[in-house]
Amino acid sequence: MVVLLAALAGAQVVAAQLGGAPDQPIGFTHLTHATTLQIDCTFCHRNVTKGSTASVPAVQQCMFCHAVVTGQTPLTQQEIAKVRDAFQNQLPIDWVRVHRVPDHVRFIHEAHYTGLRARNPGISTQNLCATCHGDVASTIKVGQVRQLRMGDCVACHRANNAPTDCTTCHK
Amino acid sequence: MELTRRDFLKISGSSAAGAVLFAGCTPPEHEWKLESPVLLPEDTLTSFENWYASVCRQCEAGCGIITRVVEGRAKKIEGNPLHPLNRGKLCARGEAGLQALYHPDRLRTPLRRTGPRGMGQYQIISWDEALNELVSRLKDQQAQGSAGAVALVTGPLRGLEAHLVTRFARAYGATSLAYAPLEETALQAALKQLFGQDTYPVFDIARANYILSFGANFLEPWISQVHYNRAYGEFRQGQRTQRGYLVQVEPRLSTTAANADEWVPVTPGTEGVLALSIAYVLIDRRLASPTVAQAMTGGAGVQGLGAFRPEEASRITGVPAERIEAIAKALAERRPALVLGGLGPAGHTNGLFNLTAIYALNFLLESVGRPGGVLLNPAPPTPELAARAPASPFLEWQRFAERLRTKQPRPVNILMVHDANPLYGLPPAVQFGEGLKNVPVIISFSSFMDETTAMADLILPDSTYLESWGESIPDPGPGFQAVGFQQPVVKPYFSTRSFTDVLLTVAGELGGQAKEELPWNTYKDALRETAQRLFRLNRGSIRKPDFESFWNTLLQEGGWRDEQATAPRVDLRLPVLARQSQPPQFSGTDKDYPFYLHVFASAGLSDGRGAHLPWLQMTPDPTTTIMWQSWVEMNPRTAAALGLRENDVVVVESPQGRLETMLYLYPAIPPGVVAMPTGQGHTYLGRYAEKRGANPLSILAPMATAEGGALAWGATRVRISKTGRQYPLPKLEGSVPAVQPEDYTIIPVTDLRTR
Amino acid sequence: MAEERKWGMVVDIDRCTGCQACVIACQTENNILMSSEDIVQQKRAMVWIRIERYWEGEYPNIKARFIPVLCQHCENAPCEPVCPVYATYHNNEGLNVQVYNRCVGTRYCANNCPYHARVFNYWERHTAAPHMQVYPADARAAEPMNEYLNPDVTVRTKGLMEKCTFCLQRIRRVSRQATVEGRAIADGEVQPACVQSCPTGALVFGDLRDARSQVSKLAGDQRAYHLLEDLGTRPAVTYLKKVDPNARATSPSH
Repeated sequence: MVVLLAALAGAQVVAAQLGGAPDQPIGFTHLTHATTLQIDCTFCHRNVTKGSTASVPAVQQCMFCHAVVTGQTPLTQQEIAKVRDAFQNQLPIDWVRVHRVPDHVRFIHEAHYTGLRARNPGISTQNLCATCHGDVASTIKVGQVRQLRMGDCVACHRANNAPTDCTTCHK
Repeated sequence: MELTRRDFLKISGSSAAGAVLFAGCTPPEHEWKLESPVLLPEDTLTSFENWYASVCRQCEAGCGIITRVVEGRAKKIEGNPLHPLNRGKLCARGEAGLQALYHPDRLRTPLRRTGPRGMGQYQIISWDEALNELVSRLKDQQAQGSAGAVALVTGPLRGLEAHLVTRFARAYGATSLAYAPLEETALQAALKQLFGQDTYPVFDIARANYILSFGANFLEPWISQVHYNRAYGEFRQGQRTQRGYLVQVEPRLSTTAANADEWVPVTPGTEGVLALSIAYVLIDRRLASPTVAQAMTGGAGVQGLGAFRPEEASRITGVPAERIEAIAKALAERRPALVLGGLGPAGHTNGLFNLTAIYALNFLLESVGRPGGVLLNPAPPTPELAARAPASPFLEWQRFAERLRTKQPRPVNILMVHDANPLYGLPPAVQFGEGLKNVPVIISFSSFMDETTAMADLILPDSTYLESWGESIPDPGPGFQAVGFQQPVVKPYFSTRSFTDVLLTVAGELGGQAKEELPWNTYKDALRETAQRLFRLNRGSIRKPDFESFWNTLLQEGGWRDEQATAPRVDLRLPVLARQSQPPQFSGTDKDYPFYLHVFASAGLSDGRGAHLPWLQMTPDPTTTIMWQSWVEMNPRTAAALGLRENDVVVVESPQGRLETMLYLYPAIPPGVVAMPTGQGHTYLGRYAEKRGANPLSILAPMATAEGGALAWGATRVRISKTGRQYPLPKLEGSVPAVQPEDYTIIPVTDLRTR
Repeated sequence: MAEERKWGMVVDIDRCTGCQACVIACQTENNILMSSEDIVQQKRAMVWIRIERYWEGEYPNIKARFIPVLCQHCENAPCEPVCPVYATYHNNEGLNVQVYNRCVGTRYCANNCPYHARVFNYWERHTAAPHMQVYPADARAAEPMNEYLNPDVTVRTKGLMEKCTFCLQRIRRVSRQATVEGRAIADGEVQPACVQSCPTGALVFGDLRDARSQVSKLAGDQRAYHLLEDLGTRPAVTYLKKVDPNARATSPSH
């Protein structure tokens, strides 16, 4: 019974991740950066076109702009100060992960990025990423919008004539 | 959240809540953390791998390695394809280097002893404190005019590191010694005598047609394992017109003998007589050049070797006369032939006699300076790289232990130990441990709490080779000039500093002559200076317009080599063969101690320095498949006669001491010989090594070779008795049924030319 | 999508010296649980490649032979049809694949494998095994050793069957690289960890469908044979016989 209750509690965590969006240590908004400022997704998530993970930017990269941009409202000033402090003290920022695939899955962002580009000529990066991540560019807090379970992956692979051999994804 | 697989199956099978439960298997909390790095170097991009070239320091060979680094952590070590010694290949010990880096029992910070010595009570101190204490103690000794009472003990060193340590010792006035448990000093002396060089020559195994090896276990941890294994592959199947033929002469069938075409069991210590008898046959049957034969017998001809007629030799060595004749004939027919001698013949009181007789055969067969024979290595490209601090022979260690114990001719007030563990390796008869009690201050620079370090008062832990700078001139070299460069592939994981950097810091603090002799601030500075010299040579594999690009390429490729820079041709003087046999001496009579004790280097643990790494502990011994333990090998018939069975715990007793270990029935050992691997029996060295197995070195008699004073580890006789207990040996054999079916005999295709 | 390849290996027994470099290379690459002393005593050692030793003859005319044995990636694999959950199957590159997240641990496959190439995880890694001497009861004490785990290989849990994958992660890495660069995979470009380390060059890996590959050429050598050929498993691993100029007609014993 104890096991069962604990399991149910665990189920709630997952549910929270699909519906809502977790609080992050810094009130970073994609809305400002990706939509208002029109920064390309790959500018910060620079690994996405090259490697398996999309990667969160290094604090130093935030400082490209935030060395001078200190914010206009008290709220933004307060949040940007956190980034500047982190850099000054050489501390990493512990973001809360939103998307996660299990350890036995090999997911390569680069392959999906390249594949989707080839299939949708002229697609904007924002729309391309939105395939799986939803409209991140107009959100304030990022949450998971797609199941990203195996059925979901396989359906998409079938639809796009991508390989469905187990070893494609399972390591 | 803990939900085992079995629980899950149980519950999901019996309740409708199955689907919910599946969602309940959430990953651990830390997996929801996504850390953004502070800085932006390309090489720490998430999920990207980088390969950094460096040098392996798991043994003294000096193979080149490349290390896979992902997000600042070393993940895999492989051989460096550009390194001429190992060309991309590596051995088990090299692969296991990662565990030394991320070992849970590494010494993480400087420590100062607080409790009684050897009780393991230490206090964590800062590097500043540790260095201050070290420097002030050294300054005190200087001020009292007793700098000579400081001793610095290291492992065998070569190149810049040797240069630094000897300079430091000289400038300060300290005694300096190097220690290796299975020292090759007898071999080095024999090779020096015959080939005139301090370094090893090239044994051109790859191009030989016939190899006669006297206990040279070149497919095992011996001098340069990967290099020789690589050559062996070529020797067997890589030559176009021939398949090399290997004959191994030794008392116990080793891994090398297992791979040989013929194994010749020989009475321990009589290898030299066998070699001279082969020489007798070669000369007597006119299989060798008469001029060479004349010179090598001092003009006496075959009469000079009368004592070694095959019939005589057969009686001494136990090898039938016909077999001696056959080997001599094959040697002469199948040229180029190469003759090698190793640990077995070296480890007797007549070690030098054995080895000179063995290696002299190469001259008689005119294999010296020929491809497929013995070739010489050139001197290193710069003078500081030529520096050497080879292992001091056993006798010197015995004298040093006596000095510690008796404080005569003068006491040792400070003993500094780096990368050496004499307390484990020296036979207890030497009483090194007793001597340590008389040393007021012991300072260790070890990465691990080994036996000697456990006696230390101050510990300044060394970084591992994957975290520090260095260089290595491979010895034996590949036949031309080559230097491997070692760079830190990851930042130090703990608060450790490399010994060489500490030495330079100390020299700087001491000032005066020490500072003059060692003017560099860090070891990297010294290395760059050496690299400058290489750069100015303007030859070899890297030629660049400016030094910085030379340096970068040097580190990228893991070293520098010049294949044109081979040894100059020298006409070596032909050695004169001994006329008289030199019989080996043994500790213990054959009546009281009926067995020769044959000690061999463990495949994984080597001389014991690999015992702390679980990967090496679980490396099966190739011929017995035993892991994690030590054992004593005995012929099954002998065992049956003594009423002993496999897995019996037996007492192995020598005139010097006793140990207990498990019996393994080894079908390939003569009835009068028992064999034990080195490496186990540690009282310290971390959780994987401690209190595991027994150390055969601990019952050796303090016998040395007659010339050179090397340890004669084959000179001890033992007796074996039952304890009545049993312990199942952890071994791979018998885990699964034999795969090779009975009707597949290993039948030969001998004619390679038809392919 | 993926090209029709057939990965295969050649093991030259005449070159193999039994040095165990491949065994440890495999351990370091594939996050294999370290077999502690009592695991070995229970005959449950976790190894994907092992070197078997055979004695031939009697003292003093005795010989030892070494044969590395790994998953043979049989074309007609006895392990595949017995899996009730399709966790093991043959893919279009000639690999016998084990899908860990499908495996429920019935061990039928291991029972049916004549080469004993499959090993079962009886233990949780690093935890919950106070009886084991290798890992202390407190998992955190052995902590830094997690740092060298290969991120490209799953860390298997208790209750799963596992075996040699021909270093699938390396095959995938190289083929992805080749796709990105728009070229074919070169012969010898994919090297499983064992092949990469083997000092004597006894192990060779490559595409058996490519007639010009080194592995294809060697597999056609007159010394070639397969382990337990009579069973008709059609392994992708070919062995080259030991050359023994002194061989007599003796049968090996184990």
